[in-house]
Amino acid sequence: MSSHREAPEISKDPAADNADVYAFVSPDRPDTVTLITNFVPLQDPPGGPNFFEFGDDVLYSIYIDNDGDGKPEISYVFNFSNRVRDPNTFLYNTGPIGSLNSPKWNRRQFYSVTRVEGDDTTKYGTAPAANGHKHHKPKLKTHLLGRGLACPPCNIGPRSTPNYPALGQAAVHSLPGGIKVFAGQRTDGFYVDLGSTFDLADLRPFQNLHLIPSAAAAGVDATKMLNIHSIAIQIPISQLTSNHVKPTDVMSKHAVIGVWSGASRRKVRMINGSGELSESGPWVQVSRLGNPLFNEVVVPMGHKDRWNSLYPVDDKQFAKYVQHPELAGLLPVLYPKVFPNLAGLKAARADLEAILLTGIPKGIVPGFQNFTGSVPADQLRLNVAIPPKTSNPSIYGLLGNDAAGFPNGRRVFDDVVSIELRAIAGATYPLVNKSYTPDAAAGKLTEGLTPAANRYQGTFPYLAPPQDGFDVPAS
Amino acid sequence: MDERKGVDRRSFIKTSAGVAAGAAGIAAGAAAITRAEQGGLGGAVTSEMLEPTGSAPKEPIMAYVHDARRGEVTVLAGTSETTYRDPDLAKRLVSAATRRLTGGSDVIAP
Repeated sequence: MSSHREAPEISKDPAADNADVYAFVSPDRPDTVTLITNFVPLQDPPGGPNFFEFGDDVLYSIYIDNDGDGKPEISYVFNFSNRVRDPNTFLYNTGPIGSLNSPKWNRRQFYSVTRVEGDDTTKYGTAPAANGHKHHKPKLKTHLLGRGLACPPCNIGPRSTPNYPALGQAAVHSLPGGIKVFAGQRTDGFYVDLGSTFDLADLRPFQNLHLIPSAAAAGVDATKMLNIHSIAIQIPISQLTSNHVKPTDVMSKHAVIGVWSGASRRKVRMINGSGELSESGPWVQVSRLGNPLFNEVVVPMGHKDRWNSLYPVDDKQFAKYVQHPELAGLLPVLYPKVFPNLAGLKAARADLEAILLTGIPKGIVPGFQNFTGSVPADQLRLNVAIPPKTSNPSIYGLLGNDAAGFPNGRRVFDDVVSIELRAIAGATYPLVNKSYTPDAAAGKLTEGLTPAANRYQGTFPYLAPPQDGFDVPAS
Repeated sequence: MDERKGVDRRSFIKTSAGVAAGAAGIAAGAAAITRAEQGGLGGAVTSEMLEPTGSAPKEPIMAYVHDARRGEVTVLAGTSETTYRDPDLAKRLVSAATRRLTGGSDVIAP
């Protein structure tokens, strides 16, 4: 998956499991950027009576690096809390929930949003880095943007949440400075054929060519009826760039921002008995995500948990897995005679390093760059001077000649699985070595999926209301 | 039920922590830190602050022996984590820990 349950430890901790990150220039407000980070993956819609929610013991952060040093100069930090109206009922709601302050809604969730600025905002409330770096006392500036902001309920069914779209829209809050924010349940926008992917990297449309073949078939969208919890924030571009203006020159270094997100837990939790917990100590990062599939597909099993604890500035140690990705070696084995050129490609994959770790420098793709410098760091890199493509955007993003999409940031509908598969299979290697001829299949790889329109909406927060638990799964 | 009288997890944690550690415990911990900053968690040996991090303590104070060989004890309070070098205290804690290894919880009067 993108990063759903991607590492052994975080797979046991859904509330902190960072599943997807999106960063794009807002199509309907092109003077803003929308940043979305998702948690609590793979929600089965009827999963009550304790429906899904953010962790009130988790610190959620979205980070922005706007000077290419691999460290965030800005972060938006989200703290959640729960309020229970009546602890003497087992019910999530005691009647239809018609509004966010409905007296029939028993267990509600609220949150605060804080903007943090400084040389390295990962230091906000955190422990010394696991890598042994000296932990200097941070000089950070914090600004509370909003508190007591209501989340919508989970989408239970037509009796409990009869007008869900209105509930969801009511949970879009306006903050000072032209910022919008939303936090709550949504339909997962990430589409993937999980069943085939994890069955020895099968691609159903090409499985007749697999080492263990069967008839070619259409892809199966495993997440189309599953929900997720999204934190979405829409911010004027001028509040994110290093020179505090909305750039117009695509080639300007000020035009590119690096984006990722993370989740942290308190360093110590003590179970006191009788259902009581105590927590103490600094926040310690347990999950992070920049590029989709980075930790999932690139980082080896034995390093995934540690990767989650580190920050992008420490990613140089993982560059070798990008330069020589395991999947690039597996494809020629699993699809015999399909990838002969890839099988012979032994050089370090500078194309993948650019896509995933540094951004693509100018001069590689005409009229495009999202280069942030030489510091290798897993971040989504978004050139905010590139306007959104509102007419016929390509789900293949830059590979589909649509520079407004992945790997220039990531939109909710981008087919990141196919894009990364194609890149790893060698389709992008000619960008750095024109003498290389990709295998014919490299540029055609796909899981055979297209995003269903009902997963998205045209306005903030762009991910559609969640599937309801009464109708999904259908009988 | 009045929402303001409802239960939220944070207040529940805070309340339970208060029961578990007690105001005296927190006060004692704060006093211990003050003593440590003035010259010794254990009293006999000067404590050296090694890695200061966050802000003032508001929650239950927890401590563990970070490195027995080096005599380092780490104190967690609020979002702060401070490691002190106090060989005497570390030695006494290790001694207390190894006195009974049968599992379970015991309170042993000094």
